[in-house]
Amino acid sequence: MKTLLAEDDFASRKFMDKHLSQYGECDVTVDGEEAVGAYMMALEDGEPYDLICLDVMMPVLDGYQVLKAIRDIEAERKIPQDKRVKIIMTTALNEERNVKKAFELGCEAYSGKPIDVEKFEQVLKRLELI
Amino acid sequence: MAEEFNMDGMLDMFLYESGQLLENLEGIILEKQDADCFDEADINEIFRTMHTIKGSSGIMLYDNITKVSHKLEDVFYYLRESQPENVPHVELVQKVLAVSDFISGEMDKIREGDKADGDETEIVADLDEFLKRLKGEIKEQGIRLPKENKHKEPSQFYIAPVASEESHFYRIVIHYRNDTEMSNIRAYSATYALKDIAEDLLYTPEDIITNEESADVILAEGFYMLLQTKSDTDEIVGLINSVEAESIDIEEITAEQFGKGLAEISTDVSEPISIDLGGEEPKKEPDKEKEKEAVKPGDYVVKSKETGKGKTLAKNQPKKQSIISVNVEKMDALMDLIGEIVIAEAVVLQNPDLQVPGLDLTNFQKASAQLSKITTELQEVIMSMRMMPLTNVFQKMRRIVFDISKKLGKDVELEVIGESTEVDKNIIEHISDPLMHLVRNSMDHGIESDPADRTALGKPEKGKVTLEAKNEGGKVYISVRDDGKGLKKEKLYEKAKNNGLIGDKEITDFTDNEIYRFITLPGFSTKEEVTEYSGRGVGMDVVVKNIQSIGGRLEINSQEGHGSEMTLVIPLTLAIINGIVVQVGNSRFVLETASVKEFIRLTEDAIVQEPGGEEYIVLREQPYPFIRLGQKYQLSDSQVQVQDGIVVVLEHEGEQVCLLIDKLIQEQEIVVKPIPSYVKKVKGISGCTQLGDGSIALILDIAGLIQDEERS
Repeated sequence: MKTLLAEDDFASRKFMDKHLSQYGECDVTVDGEEAVGAYMMALEDGEPYDLICLDVMMPVLDGYQVLKAIRDIEAERKIPQDKRVKIIMTTALNEERNVKKAFELGCEAYSGKPIDVEKFEQVLKRLELI
Repeated sequence: MAEEFNMDGMLDMFLYESGQLLENLEGIILEKQDADCFDEADINEIFRTMHTIKGSSGIMLYDNITKVSHKLEDVFYYLRESQPENVPHVELVQKVLAVSDFISGEMDKIREGDKADGDETEIVADLDEFLKRLKGEIKEQGIRLPKENKHKEPSQFYIAPVASEESHFYRIVIHYRNDTEMSNIRAYSATYALKDIAEDLLYTPEDIITNEESADVILAEGFYMLLQTKSDTDEIVGLINSVEAESIDIEEITAEQFGKGLAEISTDVSEPISIDLGGEEPKKEPDKEKEKEAVKPGDYVVKSKETGKGKTLAKNQPKKQSIISVNVEKMDALMDLIGEIVIAEAVVLQNPDLQVPGLDLTNFQKASAQLSKITTELQEVIMSMRMMPLTNVFQKMRRIVFDISKKLGKDVELEVIGESTEVDKNIIEHISDPLMHLVRNSMDHGIESDPADRTALGKPEKGKVTLEAKNEGGKVYISVRDDGKGLKKEKLYEKAKNNGLIGDKEITDFTDNEIYRFITLPGFSTKEEVTEYSGRGVGMDVVVKNIQSIGGRLEINSQEGHGSEMTLVIPLTLAIINGIVVQVGNSRFVLETASVKEFIRLTEDAIVQEPGGEEYIVLREQPYPFIRLGQKYQLSDSQVQVQDGIVVVLEHEGEQVCLLIDKLIQEQEIVVKPIPSYVKKVKGISGCTQLGDGSIALILDIAGLIQDEERS
């Protein structure tokens, strides 16, 4: 599983990086713009990511903007539904409207922080990533 | 309590909604426990309830709840589809209650912050066994088993954050010794040391790493931090552990104070300190100014992040989002009472006793201005309480579009715009059915059955129905648009004529809009064959009636070959309207301002009398029906002569009517009250209101007047 992690907080980044690296390569970006860039680069190289974890509050572009950008790129390139990258939002914002918004924009899962690792893995299994 | 579970919004909503559903479910079960069987509505309701709980618990990853509700949904699926007889009712009741208890139990655990770890296998096995017997019974009764209930796996998940202990909030002030070098870096070390235990940390000055001058500020004023953490003060002091620190003051603060951020708290306390340091004050003030102005490109990122975190904090404070469900009747009663207050206010403020010349009302005016402000706010609050987004109604439409497109074999997509538009709860109840009719009509009559017809016109094969809601100028516009055939004027005309709805007028006698309106006449249907969904010719007239009953109207627009658009225009709220008060004889009437086109003075010879006694006015070569209000309601002392009164031209849904009134009084906000039930229903009157002087005015129902006039 190839993962992209966009997270501006160092501690969370380290924790998630460590956790995700056990399943394969994990790239890390610290802001939203970089995340979109990394996604594009991987796509162009023909080695797209299987999973992208997005923080919501990030510099330059926030997680919602990144999520929307990625889904827009996929739509524009006519990438079929089952080939789309799985996106999990990881954020401390847990209000219903935040979650609904993210679902609306098309993320696969929304994980509140602090992250429940057990359930996180359960979701990865459901998404057939591990 | 050592471990208080900090509920978050998403989980809150799940628990609240599922709780409501279960409550409702138990209500049904308990009501019907002694009956012989559940009726169709109950079965549907229980099926839906389980379906919803299954879906939402799936998203929330509560697998045991999902499995149990899934099974019960299956049971009710077979009951719904096959409607077998001799269902062991008592046993079924027990099963449903067992499921409901199980889910309630699990939800209690979740609410307490525990794991939902109940073992579902027994209940599931029990239900499986029951389902097997049920299927056997169904076969025995010779009913064909329906297709397997298809389940859609949830495709989106919500991972709730791990339960955490309650956080404490601290304000920390570090004063460094005056000879400390690079105090900004020391301050940074302190923040760094706290990072591990901090859930959130704010500090000022903010630019301690990038701006060396901040060292002076720290020395002069001290270094301020706001910390959210689970640790206690001793631990914090231990972590900061700085030999250069002269003093470390830690004070526990409330979440609200924390939410306000440093700006307020630090200015509160900075004063005594600046007095202490006396002479230095003038020197560093300009420094501060400069710091604020000089934004370097790199700074912005950090700052934006910091403010972002600050904002989150304010949101994430451990306030429990508490929701209670309120009986709608109580809300209505409150709404009524507030209406009464508005009236009472008008009675007091416009009281004739105040009209004494030479009275000094300065203080009275001040007090009354305050009162008006509060009543206005009160109105706004109750309105906002009653506002609900259209999301649920629109959601239903998705389902309908899906079902119908399957049934009719038409490939149709639904586009939804503005589903978060909010309208009064009462209105939502009234528009659900009309909207459903409109969507069905669009799907059935609008979209072409043969995709080839569409491509021939250069349209995409896939039909499109658009549902749009928007909020404009105190009205809500909800439109159903399709890109189908559009309305054919000739066909509508013929049909109306054949059904004897329009007498023998020529097609040229009607405007486009009037022809489109034919479809709203009772007993009109242009579709030759009647389908399951529409075409029975009931529907559109019901739609119009429903919409009129809440003071709305239906607008129809169409372009042949390109589609049609039906728009419901509905007032945002039902209870308060803008009205013009008029007088006829000794009675007062209210006309809704929006429906008034113009006021004119005429002479008797402008009136044309038909042989049947009906009167018309010809204005700019257009005939308008003319009603003498005084005569209509037998008000003896009203003006009989047209030239002594005023003629009001009113419009409703493109139809006009003229009323003769005596005089205009004023325009004001009108609180609509229903006519009490002991008064016989009067045609053309939709409600009443109390005016500022305490008298009663009747609210005229323009649509009713026009209809009444047409009938006579």
